[in-house]
Amino acid sequence: MQYAVIKKSDLSRWFDSMKEKGKIYGPKKKENSFVFRPIKEFEEMSLEYIPTILPPKKYYFPQKEFLFKFKINPFKTGKAIDTFEEFILFGVHTCDIAGIQCMDVVFNEKPVDPNYLNRKEKMTIIGFECMHYCDEYASCTAVGTHVYKGGYDIMLTDMGEEYALHINSEKGENLVAGKKYISEMNADDKSKLKKASDEKLKRFKNEFSAGSEEVDRAFDKGFFSPVWDDVGKRCVGCTNCTAVCPTCYCFDVVDEVSLNLNDGDRYRVWNYCQMDDFAKVATGEDFRPGRNARQRHRYYRKFKYSVMKFNKYFCTGCGRCTRACMAKINLKETVNALLAERRGQ
Amino acid sequence: MLKPKPRVAFFEFTDCEGCQLQVANLGEALLELTKLVDIVNFREIMSEDGQEYEVLIVEGSVASKHDEERLKKIAAKAKVIVALGACATIGGVNNLKNLKSLDEQKKAVYGSVDPVPDAIATKPIDEVVKVDYYIHGCPIYGPEFVKVMECILLGKPYHVPNYPVCVECKQNENVCAYDKGLFCLGPITRAGCNSWLPNHGSVCVGCRGLLDNPASDAQKDILEKYGLTVDGILDKFTLYCASSKESAKYGKEFKK
Repeated sequence: MQYAVIKKSDLSRWFDSMKEKGKIYGPKKKENSFVFRPIKEFEEMSLEYIPTILPPKKYYFPQKEFLFKFKINPFKTGKAIDTFEEFILFGVHTCDIAGIQCMDVVFNEKPVDPNYLNRKEKMTIIGFECMHYCDEYASCTAVGTHVYKGGYDIMLTDMGEEYALHINSEKGENLVAGKKYISEMNADDKSKLKKASDEKLKRFKNEFSAGSEEVDRAFDKGFFSPVWDDVGKRCVGCTNCTAVCPTCYCFDVVDEVSLNLNDGDRYRVWNYCQMDDFAKVATGEDFRPGRNARQRHRYYRKFKYSVMKFNKYFCTGCGRCTRACMAKINLKETVNALLAERRGQ
Repeated sequence: MLKPKPRVAFFEFTDCEGCQLQVANLGEALLELTKLVDIVNFREIMSEDGQEYEVLIVEGSVASKHDEERLKKIAAKAKVIVALGACATIGGVNNLKNLKSLDEQKKAVYGSVDPVPDAIATKPIDEVVKVDYYIHGCPIYGPEFVKVMECILLGKPYHVPNYPVCVECKQNENVCAYDKGLFCLGPITRAGCNSWLPNHGSVCVGCRGLLDNPASDAQKDILEKYGLTVDGILDKFTLYCASSKESAKYGKEFKK
């Protein structure tokens, strides 16, 4: 079964059937925002949500991840953890799934990152397709993540009374197998899905003022653009843009010694290129001084270096960096300013 | 590294002793710590009054000539000097005194009498003695105190984070105060408290002092975005960051 259908009223019992498979994390309202949280009852979730404060990244690349124990005297390091528990991410948007695909590419590069890969192996992803823009900050169409392109086990698409299920893996297959309330898609449903998708595509338009080739050229020529000085002047250096990004994967490694001064734990913690000291080395030399250079670096990491290295944008268009920016630095506007400059406007 | 069981003494100057109270409240961690150090002077938890020590922990800022002399004297005996809390590290709220002349302030507080004839402008302790370790905050954050003590015992430097509170706040996935229409000093305040106040729904008040390199120009955009006034923002800074050390970090255009 590749495509299936479930009535909206049956979604909650399907959710209940997954509970035995592992811990379920889903989007939940927090004040005026949304966050991924462990979900016990289906009703706790808000499936219609704008991207959460932090992407679901925190579950497969945690903010502070324990690596192993060590002893100072006699020096000894413990075994790294390699077994993690099964868990389900429920209701993940296509932009965040694209984020997971980016992380896959990075952490599969040699030397591979066993912590990430082992965690990832235990993860089941139930996607939830957006049929409307979440808000004006998203730029998912420009980077092609507004529609689903793999990277999930099951994708849910709203067709009115029912959800369409695209089953994309054996794990996904197992989640629907034997459920009487989930039926294989018939020709009628297929045309319904097509209609819903067609209508959606009418609503989603390229948020950048040009296509990807132009964007590539603009970044190619735009390294010394005044756009970066403008962005740098406005940047307050709060690091929020990198903190909330689903594809930022930089980390620092820290040791925490316990009060007996001999046993310790090693952790890796998120670290951001927007931090003042990020590119400082021991002599005090700073390889990327200035917020203009640091902001430029962030954009190049999303639109240029990753394209050169992996042939992939590392921007998922989720809009989090724009939403979280105190200084109104807007990703769409920045890229469009670079494009306009290229056109000589 | 210090000798096996170094003696630790707490002394206070112009302050509320709330930071020492945080240490006293550490509970189990404090008991653990006493296995590694001899606390010889800490009036909130003991009556002994030891005057010989290797590690000197100073709370409070220097506010009189007498303070200055006393600090120099007690510091001379110490191998390691720790500044405990905002008053000691950056001057803290005591700096408010410096906003007006000493005479004016004395009149406002004491009227016609002058019980502190040797009063001077408030200063953080590193303007008088060399400080080896800084524990910022008003009050200090208990877990950071323990971390610093570990560093002292291991003979390692402690690096106070030079990134903003937003780093910790975002990692704790708090809803941004600015999105709730509140004005928060998190973006320009040194982290290290695990975004203690925002975690509880409040805003950062800047008690740990400013980052080494806060973005003064960019502040103006924030003011505009959230409809704030320069006066309003300056008032907030003034509470903790009025010392010359802190305000020197700010660009000219930000000061009126």
